[in-house]
Amino acid sequence: MMEAVQIRHRHLLDLEDWSASEIESLWRTTDAMVEVMQRKVKKVPALQGLTIVTLFFENSTRTRLSFERAAKAQSAEVLNFAAGGSSLSKGESLKDTLKAIDAMQADLYVVRHGVAGTPHQLSRWTDAAIVNAGDGRRAHPTQALLDGYTFRQGFRGFDGFRGKRLVIVGDVMHSRVARSNIGLWTKLGAEVVLCGPRTLLPTELGHWPGVQRCFRLEEAVEGAHAVMALRMQRERMQSGLFPSLSEYQARYQLTAKVMEHAHPDALVMHPGPMNRDVEIEGVLADSPRSVIEQQVANGVPVRMAVLYSLLVGRAR
Amino acid sequence: MRQVIKDARIAGWTEGTEVADLYWREGVIEGVGVGGEVDRVWEAKGALLAPALIDLQAHFCDPGQEVREGLAAGMKAAAAGGFGTVVVMPDTEPVLDDAAQVAHLQARAETLGGVRVRVAGALSCGLNGEQIADLAALQQAGVVLATDGVMAVRDGHLFRRACEYAEELGLLVQGGGLDRNLCQAGVMHEGRVSERLGLPGQPAIAERLALYRDADIARMTGARVHFGHVTTSESVELLAWLRAQGAPISVGTTPHHLLLSEESMASFDPRYKVFPPLRPPSDAKALRQALIDGKIDCITTDHLPWTLAEKEQDLVQAPAGIAGLETAWAVLYTALVVPRLLTIERLLGLWTSGPARIMGWKEPRLLAGEAADMVLFDLDTPRPVEPMGFFSKSRISPWDGQNLCGWPIATFVRGQCCFTREGFGEASGTSAHRVGPL
Amino acid sequence: MELRWKKRLMDEGEINRAVNRMAHEIIERSDRLEGVVLVGIHTRGIPMAEHLSKLIKHYEGVELPVGKLDITLYRDDLTEIGVQPIVRRTEVPVDIHDRELVLCDDVLYTGRTARAALDALMDLGRPSLIRLAVLVDRGHRELPIQADYVGRAIQTSRSEVIKVRFHSTDGQEGVDLLERGS
Repeated sequence: MMEAVQIRHRHLLDLEDWSASEIESLWRTTDAMVEVMQRKVKKVPALQGLTIVTLFFENSTRTRLSFERAAKAQSAEVLNFAAGGSSLSKGESLKDTLKAIDAMQADLYVVRHGVAGTPHQLSRWTDAAIVNAGDGRRAHPTQALLDGYTFRQGFRGFDGFRGKRLVIVGDVMHSRVARSNIGLWTKLGAEVVLCGPRTLLPTELGHWPGVQRCFRLEEAVEGAHAVMALRMQRERMQSGLFPSLSEYQARYQLTAKVMEHAHPDALVMHPGPMNRDVEIEGVLADSPRSVIEQQVANGVPVRMAVLYSLLVGRAR
Repeated sequence: MRQVIKDARIAGWTEGTEVADLYWREGVIEGVGVGGEVDRVWEAKGALLAPALIDLQAHFCDPGQEVREGLAAGMKAAAAGGFGTVVVMPDTEPVLDDAAQVAHLQARAETLGGVRVRVAGALSCGLNGEQIADLAALQQAGVVLATDGVMAVRDGHLFRRACEYAEELGLLVQGGGLDRNLCQAGVMHEGRVSERLGLPGQPAIAERLALYRDADIARMTGARVHFGHVTTSESVELLAWLRAQGAPISVGTTPHHLLLSEESMASFDPRYKVFPPLRPPSDAKALRQALIDGKIDCITTDHLPWTLAEKEQDLVQAPAGIAGLETAWAVLYTALVVPRLLTIERLLGLWTSGPARIMGWKEPRLLAGEAADMVLFDLDTPRPVEPMGFFSKSRISPWDGQNLCGWPIATFVRGQCCFTREGFGEASGTSAHRVGPL
Repeated sequence: MELRWKKRLMDEGEINRAVNRMAHEIIERSDRLEGVVLVGIHTRGIPMAEHLSKLIKHYEGVELPVGKLDITLYRDDLTEIGVQPIVRRTEVPVDIHDRELVLCDDVLYTGRTARAALDALMDLGRPSLIRLAVLVDRGHRELPIQADYVGRAIQTSRSEVIKVRFHSTDGQEGVDLLERGS
């Protein structure tokens, strides 16, 4: 069993520089947070007196709510700032926007932005900690952490990620969830298979160590321990990335029948929001294999653990 | 007024550390070591005197966006970078597609004095790619080059007709750029790094395709076409091949494409967002080799200034481009000449005789009777890049804080000093006066 | 920080005798022994609670449930410290509502841990009564908290450290007095 280690990061921008043992430590903290969320009083005083600002340049009510719950369950103050991209284009630079909000004396920002790297940029301009809640196509680290946690918790007889196989199906190209999960699972020793139309599976991603591309769903799912379907957005058709939704459904919809090719205990995952019967068959989403609801439920304790890890023990 | 630069190493005259004195009267060089009474003495103390540099591509954002640069600041920045002549781009507000605008801009530059400002005019009206601009009128007003900017002219037919028209006028056309459709919304080079960073990329083929079309149109029409910012290895090879087939083309690249790579984007710092995007290190290396092989004729700064507020945005919102006039020579000297990857003669050629040949101008040399457009380089004293001290209004540089050598310490245009670095030139008139530290 | 060993305060036999006595006191003082829940504070309150439970079962035949309580999230110094305490899972196997609790810890010092533990227990339910059992009471209280069952009370100075070891957590058993080096 791995020793729990101190998490020494000031920010959670992506998981690239987080070690496997740091991730395991974070998940152990998550175990404790899961228990907190099962109590009658779902609130501990750990982050009392600290202020967390959610800074959402791109709308995502669910992610924001999940972070807000995670912060409030630890007694932090939460302020919400929703900035449409349009208000910024009226001449105020990103830095000035942040400086204005910095006057609120936040200890931590939860940042969602439509463009990759923005949380990194912001981290250069503030003393507060930054948690990336999704930036462009780049990263959604708390989502990957909760996906991995859900697998660790839910896979029967779980004995580590080594030798496990995760299949990600769909629009990998535009997906920060896919990028973060690829990074996380391969770091922990799992194999990742990307599946979808070639136009949505960038060639370069297939060259990452531990990652392969596969264009046929049955083949991809063969022996998989977890299969994750990604949300398919209709806009992709207009940009010429695939011909039609019906063709996509016919070739890449994750169904109970397809799952017969997977490992008998394989879990079905979806990062949400889900288009039922588009990328995933409705009955499969509701089947015992599906851990989609657990993923949502685990969002709060995982984010509690992230906030705890970044905010506690930071006195200089 | 008669002046002399004393104890200078003189490009094309002296060998090694040997020094000599160069005399000039008004705007014309008299010669080396001619002696006689002078009104002003400049002590070079062994610094290198060379013909002033020529930049074929700078954006002064004047008229229209003087908040970014403007003529006066741009000219000062150019002088500080060792440039005696700068060709300014037509993507202004309004666009430089009108003879009166061009004449007015040139008159303003004359009034300001200093660096010679030459104007590139629009190839199509409003840079819209739909109607050829009044190229003859523009040429008459002083336009030396016709270009629609970094994005390839959408319509190949229009480019062809513009080339035919320009060929008959003897006007140089700038071609190439990037194919808009293939670029999509990319903010960097498409490849391994863009996929890792999750940033939308633009494929290298967007450049190659645009170059091919325009270079082959040059071959077909006989028009002289210049490609100012060629950035990939394959583009260089393609153009070298087309040139061998008889296409009357010339090739330039920029300091940032020679020295930086897509890897810089991992910092998510918009100062590395340029157009065309920074390429893989292998391309930068191939470009450096092409400088030696002669497949590249000139280097241009592609000086494209933005305000801090404009650049301090996310990587999609932030505009592409960086100010480069003041650092161009020093970064290349430090990165290429100091480690002996390139001779100083070759680097000088790429900034002087190279661009002059492309433009059909007389080769700049420090000979009697030639224009006294000169720059003095201090090859030895390292100094850090300090964007806050730039003459350019754009205080952003990818080389911020780096210690560079080879800095220009004085620039003379038409015989007149239009830039001295702090500490230089205090010894005017008498050699007894102590020269302060550089 | 260097720790210098000063002296042994209790050996294994002395610990056993002290815990034995505490077990008897718990049996004596509770009106309804079946309703008592032993709650050990992570880390060394847990082997102590388990020890007490075993002894009580031996003497009275009643098996008292043992809960594990992690008080990290209730510490009052989380934003002031430079290291990050590891949060462990709290596991209290029974509903503590209206139950009599005996909170167990190895050392009672400033009383801040006990304060945090009381807050944590209140969030788990509303016990009818909470008593505190500690192996060593070393004084220097900073809060109005007293132990109900004490293995041994020892006079210490603030520069001293009490180190308790149990077989299950440390592979050996004993209580030692250490001194902080400069």
